[in-house]
Amino acid sequence: MLRLASKAPKPRSALQKSESRLGILFILPSLILIASVIIYPIIYNIYLSFHRVSLNPLKPHKPIGLSNYLTLLQDGNFLKALLMTTVYVAVTVVCSTTVGLLVALLMNRKFKGRGFARSLVILPYVAPVISLVFVWRYMFNGIYGVVNYVTVDLLHLFEAVPAWFDHPVLSMTLVVLFDTWRVFPYSFMMILASLQAIDESLYEAARIDGANAWHQFWNITLPEILPVVGSLMILRSIWNFYKFDDVYLLTKQVPIMGVYLYETAFSTNDFGLAASITVVLFLIVMSFVILVRRKVKRV
Amino acid sequence: MRKRSVKNVLLDLLVVVVVCMALLPFYFMLTTALKTSAGSVAYPPQIFPEEITLQHFKDVLNPDIFPFWRYFWNSFQVAFGTAALAVIIGSMGAYSLAKLDFPGRKLIQESSLVVYMFSGIVLVVPLFKIISGIGLYDNKLSLVITCLVTTLPATLFMLSSYFASIPVSLEEAAMIDGLSRFQVIYKIVMPLSIPAIMSVFAYVFMIAWNDFLFSSIFLSTPDKLTLPIGLRQLFSSKDYVWGRMMAASFLTAIPVVFMFSMVEKFITGGLVAGGVKE
Repeated sequence: MLRLASKAPKPRSALQKSESRLGILFILPSLILIASVIIYPIIYNIYLSFHRVSLNPLKPHKPIGLSNYLTLLQDGNFLKALLMTTVYVAVTVVCSTTVGLLVALLMNRKFKGRGFARSLVILPYVAPVISLVFVWRYMFNGIYGVVNYVTVDLLHLFEAVPAWFDHPVLSMTLVVLFDTWRVFPYSFMMILASLQAIDESLYEAARIDGANAWHQFWNITLPEILPVVGSLMILRSIWNFYKFDDVYLLTKQVPIMGVYLYETAFSTNDFGLAASITVVLFLIVMSFVILVRRKVKRV
Repeated sequence: MRKRSVKNVLLDLLVVVVVCMALLPFYFMLTTALKTSAGSVAYPPQIFPEEITLQHFKDVLNPDIFPFWRYFWNSFQVAFGTAALAVIIGSMGAYSLAKLDFPGRKLIQESSLVVYMFSGIVLVVPLFKIISGIGLYDNKLSLVITCLVTTLPATLFMLSSYFASIPVSLEEAAMIDGLSRFQVIYKIVMPLSIPAIMSVFAYVFMIAWNDFLFSSIFLSTPDKLTLPIGLRQLFSSKDYVWGRMMAASFLTAIPVVFMFSMVEKFITGGLVAGGVKE
């Protein structure tokens, strides 16, 4: 139809017009939804951040200028949360990507039951966080947990039972372990698919030239998967910067930004302050994205 | 040659270790659900339950103890509704992005990363205020809309890259045969895209089913809670029992795990095609 039409100029433009009208019509529901559930709230949130937000819907919010932001800067908990989040993001991004990469390399061979093994490895990523958090709490329990039994009584790694849920450093270790375990399958899937897309003849040529396994990895595999690994790490950084649920449900000792924000809004009920935290959060993420986009040309 | 096969055995063993590490918590979830209450707190911990009971499953499914089916039904309504809407709205949008030319198309295609920057926890405060303001607080619809939109970029991406792989010549041929654009879409494009549509359905269903953050702030009436919130309450109640917790956790995980395994071979390809929201 398109090719036929191109011979006669008049109907072509009519068709194009109707195409473009249909295109807009079809994308419109998505755009309206995104505008009303993402863009409008973000703008509304900026407005809220300059107000003392009243809990009573009938009372107007009181404009207080930059007061919320000043409160934030003086709040030691805010700076603590920022620091914790930075550590959490840096460690989890590196850990989950590395584990994902290693497992992907391991599974990128032909062996019996590969498909089945792959589906099993993905399970932590699929199951609800809530179920997984509970079983982790059970396994790390200080009295009858299997992790302590193995690490303290069998392997003697610790002298006393580690306080996984109460000690700040150990709690951080716990939430990092949990996140690595839960999300590495995602990196694994993405990296495995890009490994399988590499042209086999590249390796054949390299072998003829006498390249060993390490050289093949360094000169062929790595450059081919680097774009995927790069965008993976950027996305994971954003997601983990906004992390809330599993950390909140696992321990009270790791008040990362998401937890701090949630508590400010729904425990302290200070929505104005929470709104200003939100603004700071997405300003940080935005500058991060702009920065890496400049460094890495195409992501 | 022999050295090579030794290496392969070692690598196979490593695969087994990796799979076991991934599954270990699931193993403890199931076995603890089957242990007696005494068995679940025994020390040293019972790696294999010494005595097996189905009592915890019975308790969790008993409406007098825990309204599992009520929560299950709520979760199902939210997840199914969200996934169905995602397929409809997503297919339309994705078709438009993949096949139709209109001003602003490029801009929309390239702005998905922007949406990732504004999702999850940063939407919580303003959305809560807006949802309460328009009277949708404590209404499952608020959850459906939120989950639908936060997954929309991924849905659009997965579907449009699939639609783009369907040759234009196929559609042209059908249109020469007299089919209208709409007929082409639902008689040719949609049936050809069933794997992608199923993947999107399963993916959105999973996100909505697993959601904790938005459910925890949007819902409050006990009758309306979804499973993750119900489970949380079971855990914070005074008389929680590990066996019940694990039985409920296990039952909550089953539907998404089952669903995902059905479409797993399709979804990995789709997920991988580009960045996808969790």
